[in-house]
Amino acid sequence: MTPDESTQSSASTGTQTTTTDGPLVDQQIDVDTNDARPSAETVIEARHIDVFYDDVQALDDVSIEIPEQQVTAMIGPSGCGKSTFLRSINRMNDLVDAARIEGELLFRGKNVYDEDVDPVALRRKIGMVFQHPNPFPKSIFDNVAYGLRVQDMDVDEEQVVEESLKKAALWDEVKDQLDSSALDLSGGQQQRLCIARAIAVDPEVILMDEPASALDPIATSKIEDLIDDLAEDYTVVIVTHNMQQAARISDKTAVFLTGGELVEFDDTEKIFENPEHQRVEDYITGKFG
Amino acid sequence: MSADTSTTEAITSPPEQATRERLYRYALFACAAVSILVTLGIVLVLGYGAIDFFQQYDPVAFYTGTEWIINRDKLGVLPLLSGTVLVTVLSAMVALPIGLAAATYLSEYASERARSVLKPALEILAGIPTVVYGYFALVYVTPFLQALGLPLGTFNVLGASIMVGIMILPMVSSLSEDAMSSVPDSLRQAGYGMGATKFEVSTGVVIPAAVSGIFSSFILALSRAIGETMIVAVAMGQSPQLISVADPLSNVFESNLPMTSAMVQLVQAENAGGVIYQSMFAIGLTLFVVTFLMNLASNRIAAHYREEYE
Amino acid sequence: MAVDEGSWYGQDSGVSQVRGQLFEAICLLATSVGIVSVLILLLYVTLDAFEPLTADPGWHLVFLLTLVLPATLLAIYYYRSSDPAGEVAYVTTGLPIVGLLLSGGVLVVFAELLAIKEWFALALSLGAVGVVWYAHKRGRPSAVLERFGILILGTAVSVFGLPPTALARVAGLPKRIVSLRELVLELPYLPLSSLQVVATLTLPVAALAGLFVARRRASRRDGVVAAALIVTGALFGPVIDAVVGINGEVWVVLVTMTAVPVAVYIEGVVRRKEGVAGLAFPLVLVGGVAVGTVLVNALGFAGPDVWLDWSYLTSAPSTTPEEAGIYPALVGSVMLLLVIVAMTFPVGVGAAIYLEEYAPSNGLVGKFVTLIEINIANLAGVPSVVYGLLGLALFINFVHLPSGSVIVGGLTVGLLILPIIIISAQEALEAVPDSMRQASYGMGATRWQTTRNVVLPEALPGIMTGTILGLGRAIGETAPLLLVGIAASVGLAPAGFLDLTGAMPRQIFTWAFEPKPEFRYGVLAAGVVTLLAVLLVMNATAIVIRNKYQRE
Repeated sequence: MTPDESTQSSASTGTQTTTTDGPLVDQQIDVDTNDARPSAETVIEARHIDVFYDDVQALDDVSIEIPEQQVTAMIGPSGCGKSTFLRSINRMNDLVDAARIEGELLFRGKNVYDEDVDPVALRRKIGMVFQHPNPFPKSIFDNVAYGLRVQDMDVDEEQVVEESLKKAALWDEVKDQLDSSALDLSGGQQQRLCIARAIAVDPEVILMDEPASALDPIATSKIEDLIDDLAEDYTVVIVTHNMQQAARISDKTAVFLTGGELVEFDDTEKIFENPEHQRVEDYITGKFG
Repeated sequence: MSADTSTTEAITSPPEQATRERLYRYALFACAAVSILVTLGIVLVLGYGAIDFFQQYDPVAFYTGTEWIINRDKLGVLPLLSGTVLVTVLSAMVALPIGLAAATYLSEYASERARSVLKPALEILAGIPTVVYGYFALVYVTPFLQALGLPLGTFNVLGASIMVGIMILPMVSSLSEDAMSSVPDSLRQAGYGMGATKFEVSTGVVIPAAVSGIFSSFILALSRAIGETMIVAVAMGQSPQLISVADPLSNVFESNLPMTSAMVQLVQAENAGGVIYQSMFAIGLTLFVVTFLMNLASNRIAAHYREEYE
Repeated sequence: MAVDEGSWYGQDSGVSQVRGQLFEAICLLATSVGIVSVLILLLYVTLDAFEPLTADPGWHLVFLLTLVLPATLLAIYYYRSSDPAGEVAYVTTGLPIVGLLLSGGVLVVFAELLAIKEWFALALSLGAVGVVWYAHKRGRPSAVLERFGILILGTAVSVFGLPPTALARVAGLPKRIVSLRELVLELPYLPLSSLQVVATLTLPVAALAGLFVARRRASRRDGVVAAALIVTGALFGPVIDAVVGINGEVWVVLVTMTAVPVAVYIEGVVRRKEGVAGLAFPLVLVGGVAVGTVLVNALGFAGPDVWLDWSYLTSAPSTTPEEAGIYPALVGSVMLLLVIVAMTFPVGVGAAIYLEEYAPSNGLVGKFVTLIEINIANLAGVPSVVYGLLGLALFINFVHLPSGSVIVGGLTVGLLILPIIIISAQEALEAVPDSMRQASYGMGATRWQTTRNVVLPEALPGIMTGTILGLGRAIGETAPLLLVGIAASVGLAPAGFLDLTGAMPRQIFTWAFEPKPEFRYGVLAAGVVTLLAVLLVMNATAIVIRNKYQRE
């Protein structure tokens, strides 16, 4: 269980103050109510999803409707199935022999676990960014162009690479060194490169598994700004154990608690200020977790 | 919510790619399956050959016969077995203690620098062709031992066994060193913490903790010695002898014929297809079964050891 | 707590310190005993092969001054100073040696196995198939099975004709589709043989080198320049032939296989300006030898009476020790190695890829896969002589391939080292971090795409190292060759894969039983040193590759 910051809810509306252990004291969780995006169609729907690793149940009857072109955050203590759920969406769990899934997971109405669905084709529509930046040991250009080549996409590579790097807020920093190795970049730059790589193939959904947890605060805030921009064009689903981050950047938040149970899913504002379930309130205020 | 047809199209698989992927999978599986075919081949070849032989020659006489004289159709395997046993025992006497001591040094005492020189050097020992080792035994080691005063024949067991020992030395030292390095440092720390010296920790804590890995390395090395052909073929001559209890030193100073060189001798014999020739398969089967069982035992022991620390 | 004055320290430590130091010394001794004794034996063999003690003292002195001293001083300088210079030194010395060995191998193949024009015809016919395959891929990218069929059928038709000559003769057919290879051979006018080599060998190598340079220097133009330089240099072949008399083809092969890698490496060193001092080392060596030779001839010092000289490497075995040579056995070993590589590399790496990337870990197939892995580990421990029996019974008695032929020997030893290749390739693949695979899959790449584009390039140095070490083991294996009937001693090098052949270790085994002392101490020593020298180069190459890519 990750140690949580203790919180006290304040009587005033719209903000909660928290005290944290460590150097950041009295940091405010600001729930961004100003830029709430208009409610949208559901792009991904989970119906009673159970996931097992051999005999251990990782997800318990999860049902959720994820809206299009918004940022949906999934929070909860470690080991509660957030990453498992994320990886079930783009069938990355297929790569784990011990994983078994029951229930339906619909992407635009089509169950992605149907017989005729090709996971490879699915992942071309639903991209993923991982916790630790994992660029290939190739040049920056080749990294971003990898998806284009692998999917045999008939596009102008140079143009697409430039656009993707611009969208990932990395173009200015690397435009003169596109042929140099991606491994020479800093951690934050590498992660932005991975984001550029993911968006180069023009997916509809971007899944992010704790994308900033391995980065320093400055790099983290750059990534967070980026996510905000990305939601203009893509649906973003982000797993994070950093509650302030979730509150800052997401439109909707899902709270997973022990046993792989999705306890509550609602607008971010509501979750952080006035959740329905006591357990969620306890988690957010730091009584456990 | 009804399925979006364009989405459905997009995420179902294009047929030609699926075919291509399946093609690759089958081709690669075929490569992996070749190894099964090889084992099957060995078993069948040895099996058929041995059965063929035993239909023409009594297996009991084969396994209990004490004379191996090809020209007189006497095919008792015991002299060959004793040749193999002699070589194995002698080479073990060379390789096991030296190998274990070397492993101890490399694992417990050597500095990074020393290890980076000594480990590759030992690997070189393993890379020298066995026929070259046989040549060394014949041309340099035996005369050297003779110069020391030992009454050795040109072809003798001692020189060959020493070289076999040196050949399997890297195996013992490398695998034992791996086993000893895997012993968690916390055990050593516990020993030191109680005031033990380095010698006491190495011999009293590390080696016992690594004993199954060490033991498994011993078995592997011995199995290699049993199967060794060229060193003994070059340096040990071709006269089969039973182990002589009356004159023990003669076992070591004179020539002998282990199972492996016997096979070499047989294939160079004149009558292909005859009974004599077929006995090669019976010997080969015996050899295969013995080394196979030893390797199996060694793997079992090593696996058992690995579990303890996970 | 009561304590006896001064008795809790110091009293026993004397004894245990001595004991500890003695123990450490014994262990160190044990570690060195094997190494030192083998080193001494190697020294003896080298001395016997080269008989340096038969040379004039003056000869020794000259070379000491011109070669040994400068080289040693330079080596000490490298050791003391920065590291890159030392590494550059031994790579720049080693690369030409490896290149020369490879060139020698290629030239031996041309001399004994495949006439240059036959090679030319073969290359053209295969190239034609390649062109057709590429055009099909562009035109109809989705017809995968069709393309696969074209590949197989096209190669068969292009190289052998439809139906192949042997079958046609048997079936008594009057007409057949002539293969492209035969057509080329029957052309009335073929280009100069050295130019044929340029077209088929130099051009692909130049293209590869050009790509490599272009990527390194991030400039397509530089790549083209590099490729053009290489081709031009090779084209000097016919000129050199006419003017100086060195065989044109030899020149082309030398340029392609030796000069190109060295030049590419030196370009890298000069561009990065790291360790440029190391480039001096090979120059010092070559210069020292040259100056030394001139001086020795001028001053009339006699050199040593070596057993291992050029005539040894190029003559056939003989009952007269002075005239005995190892050439046919050497060629036999080279050809065996060709068969072994062609067989074990694809199958071994393919099996490793399946086991690491494709194999499921549970279910029925998963259990079968575990069985395969256990089986491979056991195969690695089977005595080599049993593999010889397998080869004998399977290839000779069952399939009726000619006894002692190149193909039988190669297949048998190939089966022997197959488990080794699989295991080391598996280790190399396993070392590739999983995050890379995840990234690739996450982007919608298929398993083969991931393997080919991400995993294999990363694992390739490890695979190369394992393969080279495995081949080193293969070259020294004797027992299987004995059982399969490889000739004890051959007078002629084999001309085809079905011909009877000798091999270096087999020849050594034969010589070991020659009674004459000159054989035992001279010719045999030379043979052993030859074999060991080849092995040394192979192992050193493997280790250099491993170190270079492990650091990265």
